Amino acid sequence: MHWYRNDEPQGRFIGSTANMDIYAETYTNASARQKESTYRKADQEFIFSYGPASGMLESSEIDLFTPGEIINHVDVGTDVRKRILRLARSNPVDALMKIERINGFHGASHAICFISALEDAMDIIPDRKLQYNRIVQIECERIRSNLMVIERMAQAAGFGVPVNQLAFLREKMSRIIGRRGGHRYFFGVNSINNSCFNTEVIGKQTGSVAEDFNDIFRGLSESKLFINRLQDNGINRDSLSIGPAARASGMMHDARMDSGTLPYEDTSYAIVTNDEKDAYGRFMVRAEEIEVSSNIIKHLEKRCRDLGKYDYSMKDGEGMARVESPPGDLFCSVKIAGGKLESSGYIPPSIRNIESFRESMKGNIFTDFHFNWESYGIWVAEAGVVLQ
Amino acid sequence: MIKGLWFLRGLRKGIVTEKFPEVKPGEVALWSTALKGDGNPQCPVEAIVDGKWIFDRCIFCRKCLPSYAPNGNFNIFKVRKKEPSFNKSFHLFPFDSGACGACNAELHNIASPQYDMTRFGIFFTNTPRHADAIVIMGVWTQGMKKALDLALDAMPGPKLVIALGACAATGGIMGKGALAEEKYDVVIGGCPPNPYTILSALEKARGD
Amino acid sequence: MIEVISIYCILPFAVTVPVSYFWRKAGYIGVIISSILFLTASLLSFTYLSSFTAISTIAWISVSLFSLTYGDKYGKWLAPLFSISILGMALILVSHTYLQFLAGWEVMSIASYAIIGLNRKDSHPPFIFMSFSEFSTVFIMAGAAYSYYLTGTIDIVAVNSIIPSVLFTIGAMVKMGMVPFMISEWLPIAHGNAPSNASAILSSTMTLMGVFGIVELMLLSPVSMYFGIFLIAIGVMSVIFASLFAYVSENSKMLAGFSTVESNGVILSTIGFYMIADTSLLREFALATIVVFALSHAISKSLIFSGIGATGVESFSERNPSRDSKLKAGMLLGTASMAGLFPTIGGLGTWMMLEMFFMGAVEPGFLGIISIAAGSLLALGEGFAFGAMMKILKFTSMGNGKARADPVQRQSLYFMGILLVATFAASPFFMFSAFVGGVPSVLVFNGSTIESMFSGTDFGLISPDYILALLSIFTLSAIALFGKPSGRTVPVWNNGRDSFEPYNSYAYSNNIRMMLKKILRTDMGHKSQRIAMADVFWIFTVQVSRAYRKFARGFTMRIMNSSIRWYMIYMVVSIIFVLLAARFAG
Repeated sequence: MHWYRNDEPQGRFIGSTANMDIYAETYTNASARQKESTYRKADQEFIFSYGPASGMLESSEIDLFTPGEIINHVDVGTDVRKRILRLARSNPVDALMKIERINGFHGASHAICFISALEDAMDIIPDRKLQYNRIVQIECERIRSNLMVIERMAQAAGFGVPVNQLAFLREKMSRIIGRRGGHRYFFGVNSINNSCFNTEVIGKQTGSVAEDFNDIFRGLSESKLFINRLQDNGINRDSLSIGPAARASGMMHDARMDSGTLPYEDTSYAIVTNDEKDAYGRFMVRAEEIEVSSNIIKHLEKRCRDLGKYDYSMKDGEGMARVESPPGDLFCSVKIAGGKLESSGYIPPSIRNIESFRESMKGNIFTDFHFNWESYGIWVAEAGVVLQ
Repeated sequence: MIKGLWFLRGLRKGIVTEKFPEVKPGEVALWSTALKGDGNPQCPVEAIVDGKWIFDRCIFCRKCLPSYAPNGNFNIFKVRKKEPSFNKSFHLFPFDSGACGACNAELHNIASPQYDMTRFGIFFTNTPRHADAIVIMGVWTQGMKKALDLALDAMPGPKLVIALGACAATGGIMGKGALAEEKYDVVIGGCPPNPYTILSALEKARGD
Repeated sequence: MIEVISIYCILPFAVTVPVSYFWRKAGYIGVIISSILFLTASLLSFTYLSSFTAISTIAWISVSLFSLTYGDKYGKWLAPLFSISILGMALILVSHTYLQFLAGWEVMSIASYAIIGLNRKDSHPPFIFMSFSEFSTVFIMAGAAYSYYLTGTIDIVAVNSIIPSVLFTIGAMVKMGMVPFMISEWLPIAHGNAPSNASAILSSTMTLMGVFGIVELMLLSPVSMYFGIFLIAIGVMSVIFASLFAYVSENSKMLAGFSTVESNGVILSTIGFYMIADTSLLREFALATIVVFALSHAISKSLIFSGIGATGVESFSERNPSRDSKLKAGMLLGTASMAGLFPTIGGLGTWMMLEMFFMGAVEPGFLGIISIAAGSLLALGEGFAFGAMMKILKFTSMGNGKARADPVQRQSLYFMGILLVATFAASPFFMFSAFVGGVPSVLVFNGSTIESMFSGTDFGLISPDYILALLSIFTLSAIALFGKPSGRTVPVWNNGRDSFEPYNSYAYSNNIRMMLKKILRTDMGHKSQRIAMADVFWIFTVQVSRAYRKFARGFTMRIMNSSIRWYMIYMVVSIIFVLLAARFAG
């Protein structure tokens, strides 16, 4: 293991796998964490149920506890679409195909995180070019993901023109990715110590997306109607929150900065934060990060040219990796024995984001719900997965 | 000045919608098109049996390279039942049984301006009561079984049951299919299916 | 002196009292028979004020019908106390003198106090009721004393000073639960804690006695514009607050109690309008409005309280209301009437009230300005009242529970509902010429349309029959064109879940709780999981009732021993005293 050590907690808390507590730099054995107290429904409240099958992008059972208008408590049931992935005793290469499909929309982050953990276990130090290539992939994914989040927020506000313009850009981004890796969601693009993602002159193309986006962003951020729906909506006070939600609350939580898995220190990376804490803050952070990602891609594009084929040999060991997926920290751990996966751990960002969302939703009213939900960029698919 | 006027901003962009299906699509990611090749390479989902490629099992994982390779034909779907009465308006109820999000995103994509499903009279609805077709995505999951049964019951006839992607149709690598394969009227292959594939399949399903 | 019918007309009620102690049903039948006799007697010598007698007797008959099979669990005292309070009201209606009026007032109040005391879930309500009753008696007594000082007689006669009328009105306003003597809660809490049939009587006719007293003195006193404005202000405030509180109330009887305050507020504003209106045309219209509104209120409030008693749904969250078509129809008509919808008499009353203020608004100067302000606020209050009524209808009667109401009760509810439509249908006949000065000059029933005439031309017009006809034509032609609608019953689609929680009554009105946080002092308390409402008036009310209780405790220790028997003896003695006094004074 190159980046993680078993030690006293150091750095911020990332999350827990089945048997470990993960911090920014260390991991410990799982402490007996107190179960969160269950909410007792007040007499006047009734449960407004939303989902699982409500035509949403994804299925989840959302229960809003409300005495009318105001939301006092939210439960987000992700178990309803629980997928059980049997990885134990399987070939790491086969396991990768499943990992990619935990959350297809963030396929690159998932694949790269898992591969990095495997490489960590197998003592492979990937070539810098390959590392940069991976960064470019994740940043492309981030641009698309942020476009999606902002598009969905604009959709909640009923802003038809920006919704369609953002959808156009998102599709453009998907095509850029599809052209270079052969697959629009990075499936099969990454493998252990290798990548077939072609980064040639990608900077220009993503740059033009970012430029077009900037125009829409200016329009949205000048629209009082739009801003009013976001401001003071879903104020995030969760000190453990991650990703854009944390950065929008002024916290410098970013795996690009405090994880050694990918060499972001070689890029012109600048962390974007905002002090608004609300959905508007998250909107701003997401929007500004598109520009940042585009700059990273431009910066690295030339440095990962002429990617070769790298060999590797299977080796037993333990490895861990953490990358900044678009919604926040994504953690993977693996243990290889006899060329097979013995155990694996996985912390998707959406679990923490759902918690932050639930806390921030209290005291808001129904019409705030969509904006707030979308602003966290939650993917239920990754939260409802169990690795075995 | 133009910044605040979304209508004008929209006009300024002009028409970006493609002329598909009259004009061939400009760009299709290769690994969402039909595979062609010889031999019986090893396949994790048994999508190649006796030298024959089975489209609704394939998850496009590239393990069969170099024996098989994509040929660019995105029409990888099967229509068992056509329903011409949906010719003018076709309302889809998206149903996520246990998908990874890629199918969801691609289905969502057919609404983006490049494809613009509304020019075909295709719309999304968020209740099965108003739906002409249910689009099932993802593998079978215990929790969604009840909801799926209820949704199929709640739909008025005539109706179409559409499988979107390998997971829903056969389970792919992630589990088993959301419904038994014979229960689907339309099966759209891909992992995830390309938006062009989805549009072509939907057009075909209503008899075009 | 105003012509009233002989005091002996109330004797049948007195006879009913002992009967009802031994035979409950016979007692209620006795009340019905006595009421019919009383009604007949009052119709024989009909004056404007007799209409209050008519209204009261209609309510008494309706509620007694309902009571035949109601109230087993309240013991044998309920029926006699019910009769006694009606006896008290009857005495008020026939009183020639202030002494008789006051005696009736006390008999009515004390009997009501005992009824509320019978249903002692909580010791507060009866004390609250009594403290306010005595408060009102003090004012009425003061008014009577001043009148005696001016005229030298205790007869209710015309005086040339407004002061007796003002004092009297304030006393009656307390009984009606107007601002600031409530506002908000004494009447609803007191009425909400009585058995339903008693609540019905208290709400529909006891408050009507207040209206009767005010109108009687108003007609005997000089008119003061300032006092009129004062009454309009009080009435409007009562309407706004009471309808708001009704809308957010979670107890169906409390809601109905607040609605009573609201209706009385409307009547009080109309009385105020009578005082500020300077043309006899508008005054006649106001008098007519008072009667129509009071009639609607008396019947529909009897109906609503009885309906709540029949369904047993007091707290909205309590249980699934029954699926009973007669009860549903009755409650629908009752709430429609209270909400001011046609084709019930309440629709006519509300229309007349708003029309009256519209007509006032055309007038130049002060009257116009006040009419615009008051009329628009009253319309706002009526809007809330509509919401409150829909709440009561939805959550008490629109269920699908299995339990069915008692046959007598559901029939009587249905009867009251039909009565609301029937009185509306009959309104052209009884409104024709009976009122002071003759109404037709303002209110014209022209075939199926109702018109208000002002300055010799048509002012406003409403035609419920026209709407009804239009609706039927559209419905029938749709059926003729497309055939009978074919429907299928399907289970509710609830996002793929097989169970769902219904929308509750609290949520129904929570928007107002949140918007009017300042007034309603809503504490949504999502952190402590507690949702509470405090209200300034209530704090005041509790303080008054505590003070009264402290005083009453010493009194009770010595004389009453908290036994209901002693109250009864006190009442019987006071009735005998009153009858004797009435004989000599008369």
